[in-house]
Amino acid sequence: MSDIMSHMDLAVWPTIGLVLFLIVFACMAGRVLLSKRPHNERMASLPLDDDEPAHQGRLTNREEPDVA
Amino acid sequence: MAAAAAAAEASFAPPEHTGGAIDEFSYDDQIVRMFLWATLIWALVGFLAGVVLAFQLAMPALNFLPEIAFGRLRPLHTNAAIFAFAGNAIFCAVYYSTQRLCKTRMFSDKLSRLHFWQLIIVSAALTLPFGITQGKEYAELEWPIDLAIAVVWAGFFGVNFIGTLIRRRERHLYVAIWFYIASLVTVAILHIFNNIWIPVGIVDVIRTGELASFDNAMKSYPVYAGVQDAFMQWWYGHNAVACFLTTPFLGLMYYFLPKAADRPVFSYKLSIVHFWSLVFIYIWAGPHHLHYTALPEWAASLGMVFSLMLWMPSWGGMINGLLTLRGAWHKVAQDPVLKFFVVGITFYGMATFEGPMLSIKTVNSLSHYTDWTIAHVHAATLGWNGFMTFGMIYWRAPRLFQTGKLYSQKLASLHFWIGTIGILLYVISIYTAGITQGLMWRAFDETGALAFPKFIETVTQLMPFYWIRAIGGTMYLVATGIGVYNIFKTWRMKPPSYDVPVIRAARLGKVYDDGPAPKSRLNANVAIGHAGDRFMQGHRHRRWERMPIRFTVYVTVAVIFASLFEIIPTFLIRSNVPTIASVKPYTPLELAGRDIYIAEGCYNCHSQMIRPIFSETQRYGEYSKPGEFIYDRPFQWGSRRIGPDLAREGVLNPNAGWHYIHFEIPTECQAGSVMPSDKHLIHQDLHCAEIEARVHSMAMLGVPYGDAVTRSVEMAREQAADVAQQVHDNAPGYAIVDNLENKKVVALIAYLQRLGTDISKPAPDDAETEEGGAS
Repeated sequence: MSDIMSHMDLAVWPTIGLVLFLIVFACMAGRVLLSKRPHNERMASLPLDDDEPAHQGRLTNREEPDVA
Repeated sequence: MAAAAAAAEASFAPPEHTGGAIDEFSYDDQIVRMFLWATLIWALVGFLAGVVLAFQLAMPALNFLPEIAFGRLRPLHTNAAIFAFAGNAIFCAVYYSTQRLCKTRMFSDKLSRLHFWQLIIVSAALTLPFGITQGKEYAELEWPIDLAIAVVWAGFFGVNFIGTLIRRRERHLYVAIWFYIASLVTVAILHIFNNIWIPVGIVDVIRTGELASFDNAMKSYPVYAGVQDAFMQWWYGHNAVACFLTTPFLGLMYYFLPKAADRPVFSYKLSIVHFWSLVFIYIWAGPHHLHYTALPEWAASLGMVFSLMLWMPSWGGMINGLLTLRGAWHKVAQDPVLKFFVVGITFYGMATFEGPMLSIKTVNSLSHYTDWTIAHVHAATLGWNGFMTFGMIYWRAPRLFQTGKLYSQKLASLHFWIGTIGILLYVISIYTAGITQGLMWRAFDETGALAFPKFIETVTQLMPFYWIRAIGGTMYLVATGIGVYNIFKTWRMKPPSYDVPVIRAARLGKVYDDGPAPKSRLNANVAIGHAGDRFMQGHRHRRWERMPIRFTVYVTVAVIFASLFEIIPTFLIRSNVPTIASVKPYTPLELAGRDIYIAEGCYNCHSQMIRPIFSETQRYGEYSKPGEFIYDRPFQWGSRRIGPDLAREGVLNPNAGWHYIHFEIPTECQAGSVMPSDKHLIHQDLHCAEIEARVHSMAMLGVPYGDAVTRSVEMAREQAADVAQQVHDNAPGYAIVDNLENKKVVALIAYLQRLGTDISKPAPDDAETEEGGAS
């Protein structure tokens, strides 16, 4: 393995990396551009409707300590 | 009433749910409050350490205690700021947002408490000042603490976090969770693979049945050496920045910014591009920290290319963040939370523009080893990490403490303004200092000689900037103090006991039907075309977003693939590290001296890497070769030069007497020096009994010590006597401590005398090479 790697011309290594990235990026960008709008809108709104409680009050008789 | 309850339930059930039962549960906010307080306390500690360091450079007399001298305090500052302050801030935000985004309590309250890792941070604070360090930047903590971190991170946090994702009641994972997953996985991989070592203490116990000393018990040597160690360290160091200080903060930006602005993120599509681009690119970029060093050219070019590509996703993310405030800019003027977020994201943009710029080789040749890098990282940590953290804390404090409002909006604004001015004073002065330094190092006069041949000239020139930096840092610390006071007063307004709101949400059905797989819309009859069109419709990716384990595996594969692409050739290609016949292992005494060099944190101010740049070879001599470092465990190339490079110190200045005086009173040898006095090394005894186990550990790692393993103590004593005699000869009339040959300083002098000398020695004959052994 060490012999094989030692005889490789690694000047091309950054180019291979760049091409790999461009392939991944193109696939991902295409997938994103063609994604469905309703799905994206629902995902984007997730943080905005996530913590309003069904009702205020004690869940149990146990009160949380107020040490922090 | 029943209708209202049903409506409420319906509003919390995911629209796509398939009829799972409705659960009642509550969020664990107690752990969030605990991490919030830890964040604030460690902010004060970390920033105070930074301010002390800033004043130590301007006033070297402040290095009056070895435990808090610059070389030992700097690792404490960086570890406290990164892992204690930013780390606790991340966990605080992750525990808050993950529960809400997944509509579930954390998987295990017990694991959450076990994860509250303050004991590890305290153990770091108790070891670094005493010189217990691996000597690798941002990975200084020694092996027992490393093991504890791995258990806490992967065992407690990892299991708890993934368990929470599995138990979730929201089908899809919001993009913030993706960033958390990437951070969790990558930090675990980086930490584990950069911390593979041989613990000297265990070798000691196995060989002799007893421990030579506590220092030996804590000491370890990495399995990697020289170039490979440097590569692994900066693969870790760069990606620790990426996955500790960037990706988790981006995740919490995508969560808390929409909350604070009360509007969804500008573009969810852009956030997906941002995520996958960062995950795929970041891990490749580490070698840009090693331009013009002994690292192979192809690896440095690879790091530069990928660093430049980081511009795109980073700025996409910044623009996405800022445009989330579209239509809400009027709120920024009144709301301190949004002020912190806007300036924080702007600093993210600035830092991620500058990072790729610094990775360009020609820019890097000027900036590397200068204070420019320090300005860059402080713009990012104080501006991006600090301000995002404080923005989140101000937003959450009234909710977590159930006070309805902050104690004082005015104090929060005051915190913001003093902090902002502090950052600007800091970074502008240090940018100026860094560029000045770089230009002075490479300046030539009209005769072709170095314009500033004495390194000290480039230090004294920076003094005014060091003072401005210290003032800026102090302002940031004061601003943080105001923030802590404001949060404390908000906490005092809390109710006698906290309400525990009940949340209702539908359990996820076991079966989920998201419709039939899409069909190809193409008329072509090539199979790959149809497959491509089906892929582009995003059906498969949306499935991943519902499968946390599979999603985690894919992120892990992306990270490992990119890492191996660089690491395997670095380790396997022989020509990367050509052997130099005259380079031999350190003698036992030099090895002990090297360990003292590491313990004192000398690498924080001195590099050991002469780049093949004319001004450097003029100043320091022959440039450094990869083969010179094959016995360096860990490598000590350093990342900045507050003092001169030491790679050829043994050639440039072998005078033992000079070094002795310099360690005791640096300004005696160099007027204007900012180096701390190391006179404690003159008085502390060298423990020769420790040396044997250390030499043996090195031999286990393949260092050809030959019979030096068994004769190490005797060899060390002989060489110590010789160095002590040289000190007496070189410094006649100077008051020299009694029994100098038994003091630590002789080991350190022996190490410095050896540095860079091997390359100019004749190659040993074959018989000597085969026999091996230190010389």
